[in-house]
Amino acid sequence: MSEEKQREGEKLLGLIPLDWRFDLTALPLVRWLFKKRWFPMLLILFNLFIFMVILTGGVIGGFSSGNYSITIMMVWILWWVLLMMLLVPIFSRSWCLMCPLPAFGEWLQRLRVFGVNNSLHGLKRKWPERLKNMWLMNFLFLGTTFFSGFFTVKPLATFILLGGIIVLGVVLSLLFEKRSFCLYVCPVSGFQGLYSNVAMAEIRVKDPAICAKHKNKTCVTGNSKGYGCPWMLEPHSFERNTYCGMCLECFKTCPFDNMAFNMRPPGTDLLVSKGRGLDEAWKGFIMLSIALMFFAAMMGPWSWLKDWVRGETLGGWLTFVVLHSACALLVVPASFFVFAWLSKAMSGVKDVSMKAVFVNLSYCLVPMGLAAWIAFSFGFLMPNGSYVLHILSDPFGWGWNLFGTAGFEWTPVFTGLMTNLQFATLILGFVLSADFAFKLAQQTYADRAAARRGFLPILMYLTGLTLFFGWLYGG
Amino acid sequence: MKAILVWAILVFCTIVPIVAIFVYDAHLNDDVTAEILARAPEKGNFLPRSVTVKAGEKVILRVRNVDTVTHGFAIPALGVEGRDIKAGRQSMVEFVAEEPGDYDFYCTAWCGDNHLQMRGVITVVR
Repeated sequence: MSEEKQREGEKLLGLIPLDWRFDLTALPLVRWLFKKRWFPMLLILFNLFIFMVILTGGVIGGFSSGNYSITIMMVWILWWVLLMMLLVPIFSRSWCLMCPLPAFGEWLQRLRVFGVNNSLHGLKRKWPERLKNMWLMNFLFLGTTFFSGFFTVKPLATFILLGGIIVLGVVLSLLFEKRSFCLYVCPVSGFQGLYSNVAMAEIRVKDPAICAKHKNKTCVTGNSKGYGCPWMLEPHSFERNTYCGMCLECFKTCPFDNMAFNMRPPGTDLLVSKGRGLDEAWKGFIMLSIALMFFAAMMGPWSWLKDWVRGETLGGWLTFVVLHSACALLVVPASFFVFAWLSKAMSGVKDVSMKAVFVNLSYCLVPMGLAAWIAFSFGFLMPNGSYVLHILSDPFGWGWNLFGTAGFEWTPVFTGLMTNLQFATLILGFVLSADFAFKLAQQTYADRAAARRGFLPILMYLTGLTLFFGWLYGG
Repeated sequence: MKAILVWAILVFCTIVPIVAIFVYDAHLNDDVTAEILARAPEKGNFLPRSVTVKAGEKVILRVRNVDTVTHGFAIPALGVEGRDIKAGRQSMVEFVAEEPGDYDFYCTAWCGDNHLQMRGVITVVR
């Protein structure tokens, strides 16, 4: 049975057909909006305005405490929570649609801000073939987390991080073609790419037969209405969200109105085998490990770990870097390898490679990883979210009161329910992960009986992981 | 015309917010006599540590805590009572000094081992 045929018959949790789709652009207003050149641009410019305030706040805030800094609150509380809890799980990589970080680089490539100019400028070098994967992003994101004790609390450190990303984006945009920076370097891009496989939205063609007859493929080459896919995908045929930045150019360039923005059941892309690889498997391991380490350091009772992360001593910080890296790159992958090996052994299937088993089954960790991050986000949203009200009116701690909320002091919100919400999220992640683990086992082993046997060790792993996170988050 | 519009939009989205922040703050604080940054002694102490004001005139000091711990501020000899200033926040201090002389100001919130060295002086002149 072909993979597509198998996916057609699958149901999420035995209830929701995985091939169910609702095309949002069937709504005339949405379709009208998506075809306007000003639509994503308006969001980008708005976010650019906000980012300038955030960057200024970083310089003003210096190394002072972050809870009264717009830079810290907007980036690490508001934006991060929106990203993890709303944008990625529901709308895939929709942040990339409105992200201002690569804007300057892209405008310099195009030599224009508005309008269309498909003759791009810059050196337009092709990104090295060996780096056309997530490995660079894996290490860059992991490396960024070494400094989480500074970035997330010191305004100036966040300024340096965001400013560095903007500068790097400009430089790489002038050296390489199109959105090479976004695809292969941006630290935010990697986990968005992997977790967008779970997202409940996608951009796909409506009718592939129409694209098959279309010789010019203007979604790739561009035309007077829009740019050829800046993400260097082939919108007429791509099957996963991983590298689609949802820029909506294909809606503008398609002469047949054949692009759809579908809502769909979560996790659909996890069953698409094309594009799977060790790089994405390790991304999943790294994200799980970081969620674990961040919670332990920032919300756990181990003050010595917090001191290490904050760099109270150089030796402590270096110890944290080594342990953190070992956990993300070795311990978590190795622990999963053991259970993947058991899975293959118990399945009894000999003609599937261990690598295929390991890679395929690692994708079942994606819902669990996203759930762990959402649960972690509850942990700082509910105690600290109230600071956002204050900083909206007094963004720099200068005694302003722009919207009358400067007097709103720190107020934890429903923190009595926090652990319950975290548990519920982890359990939801477990259920989805287990469901996809079985489906992935069926894909990998083909034989249903073998898949059932091979699924059991993975179920054990997921159960242990959930219990561990539950213990960690629940105390 | 179109190029002007593009540049106007870009300037509005990039430079205008930065300029507007400082212009607005200057407007709100145009009657401030001096700004004092509060930091632990090992990080620089009060800055400046000496402020000169005129006798008989209303003085408004903006004391900004740019440190990571709570500091306090008081000028006991001028009747300015101690108040805590949380990290990242500020406090506006108003007084009128009638007599010329030197008046010490202090940090009034225990902020570390060198807390007792965290002080400066207001010099009142005719």
